[in-house]
Amino acid sequence: MKKIKLLEIASARSGDKNNVCNIGLMARSPEFYAIIKEKVTAEKVKTHFKDLIKGAVIRYEWDAIESLNFVCNQALDGGASRSLRMDTLGKNFSSHLLRMEIEIEA
Amino acid sequence: MDREIKKTSPLNPLSKGEGANDETTKTKMTVTINSSPLGRSGGASSIKIAGAQGFYGDSPKAAIQIAKEKGADYLVIDSLAELTLSILQKDKLKDENLGYARDIESMAYTLFPVAFKNGIKIVTNSGGLNPGVAAKKVATSLEKQGIKGIKIAVITGDNLLPRLQEMQQAGLTLENLDSGVPLSSSASEITHANVYTGAHTIAEALDSGANLILAGRVADPCLTLGILIHHFKWNLLPSADGEDQRARYQNDLDKLASGIAIGHLLECGGQASGGNSYAEWPMDYSISNLGYPIAEVFEDGTAIFSKLESQGGKVSRNTIREQLIYEIHDPSNYITPDVIVDLTAVKIEEIEKNKVKFSGIKGKSRPEKLKLSIGQMEGYMSDQFFFFSWPYAHQKATRFIEAVKEIWSTLPVNIERAEFSLIGTNGIHGDAAPLPAKEILDEINEIGIRVVVKHNDLKTGKICMQSIICLGLNGPPGLIGIPGWGKTDRLMLSLWPTLIPREWVKEKVEIVES
Repeated sequence: MKKIKLLEIASARSGDKNNVCNIGLMARSPEFYAIIKEKVTAEKVKTHFKDLIKGAVIRYEWDAIESLNFVCNQALDGGASRSLRMDTLGKNFSSHLLRMEIEIEA
Repeated sequence: MDREIKKTSPLNPLSKGEGANDETTKTKMTVTINSSPLGRSGGASSIKIAGAQGFYGDSPKAAIQIAKEKGADYLVIDSLAELTLSILQKDKLKDENLGYARDIESMAYTLFPVAFKNGIKIVTNSGGLNPGVAAKKVATSLEKQGIKGIKIAVITGDNLLPRLQEMQQAGLTLENLDSGVPLSSSASEITHANVYTGAHTIAEALDSGANLILAGRVADPCLTLGILIHHFKWNLLPSADGEDQRARYQNDLDKLASGIAIGHLLECGGQASGGNSYAEWPMDYSISNLGYPIAEVFEDGTAIFSKLESQGGKVSRNTIREQLIYEIHDPSNYITPDVIVDLTAVKIEEIEKNKVKFSGIKGKSRPEKLKLSIGQMEGYMSDQFFFFSWPYAHQKATRFIEAVKEIWSTLPVNIERAEFSLIGTNGIHGDAAPLPAKEILDEINEIGIRVVVKHNDLKTGKICMQSIICLGLNGPPGLIGIPGWGKTDRLMLSLWPTLIPREWVKEKVEIVES
């Protein structure tokens, strides 16, 4: 087994809806999609973001575009218009997810 | 839903004396308005719609180029991100005549003339909280340039602030969609309440011959769907009962859903054509003149996405895929006022360089309720930035923050909340980002600091920031901090999303002719 960062096998885009941030994780190939589908669970995402996400993370599988969509509740410090954070819109939730490490067959 | 189309007498933009000067007369030029409904798209069976702006404040450059090259029949300008109404409300609190996306004032000189000259129609929700005033501003600007014969449609009815009390008296609890608590449990002052409305007013305005549509809170993708309904005469609602009708309506539902998905792909401008892209990183194309997405839509609801060859950017399966997933929750239930969209069987195929075919979208009947977004006052925030350089940059910054906390704890003010972050280590991701190793931190070139306070009055922010300036001389060596880098007393508004029955919504389409 070896450790890789999601950045090596996927891209991501995140955005806001009030206090909810969604992160689309798009595998770079169908083979990589099988890997992220198996390894990147909602629980793992919730843990990876520590205090940034206060609510539940829901994962949607989107086979047609080899993507997972993570809907993160209570994730934006109340929402962009009242957040004290620098990244009020959660644009860099994508970046942080791509930093996650997973173990794959060497 | 009730609605009315009202034709008003032509606006006289010169009635207040504005612009009635010699200079205006001299600079008048003749612009022939081409009203052909199909500029240069591939015949009557298809129509080209371009995403002309992705947010309030976006550059009009890409759209101007599309207009010049007649690259589309329609330009869709989505000015209203969820947050934007809060921004516009701040304007409107200062001046009753504001509250619309003010960049349309300059677009009336840069983009609109070339678009109208080339027979391109413009559909936008830039009207924000004040579409009527926005229309007057645009009409005045067009008149000043000698441009006449433009029909501007003003779409209103999304403002439900005057009826909130009545709704509550009628038994609506206006529960917060996120927390489930009723609106009555919140003591915060309400600033605005706007309901997300559907595509039908856009279609009706275009049916009436409007060249420019200035709407309020029409849902972003419904701007595009309205154009498609106008052009292809898709049915928004089943016309009658019966097996045959239902089958036909399912067919229409799929088309409506596809129209919404296409609108969703266009509504963020350059984000669908290679901007903000990890998928295409390192972005081996020009981003300084990024071409915006253009959808050629066919009667069956499928589309081909492209961009101008003359511009930068890229349209690929990746760029379309990453915009499709943007700000979507459940991909099998993307809820909009007109149709619930199932995106799970989508097909995105690259058919040639910078051309992507889009199909496979399914629709379900529209939701019973509409989303109402209520704005509330949340107090103020004030922030400021500081920097330290090598040596000891991280230690100095940490020590500085300790001193700030000590000073603020002694102030006779009410700080509701204070946050401190180190730009360079945890400014964006807080503690979720791993702290660099001590050897790196000890040698780091520079560290920034952001301090931010939330407060409920107009004195606390200033007092807080003033109280720590002394650390420039009293604190760790080499502090850099220029007053004005941060901002004091920024008004904070929160959003209270809720659902309401459709019966409460009565929209209005008003045509103003310049």
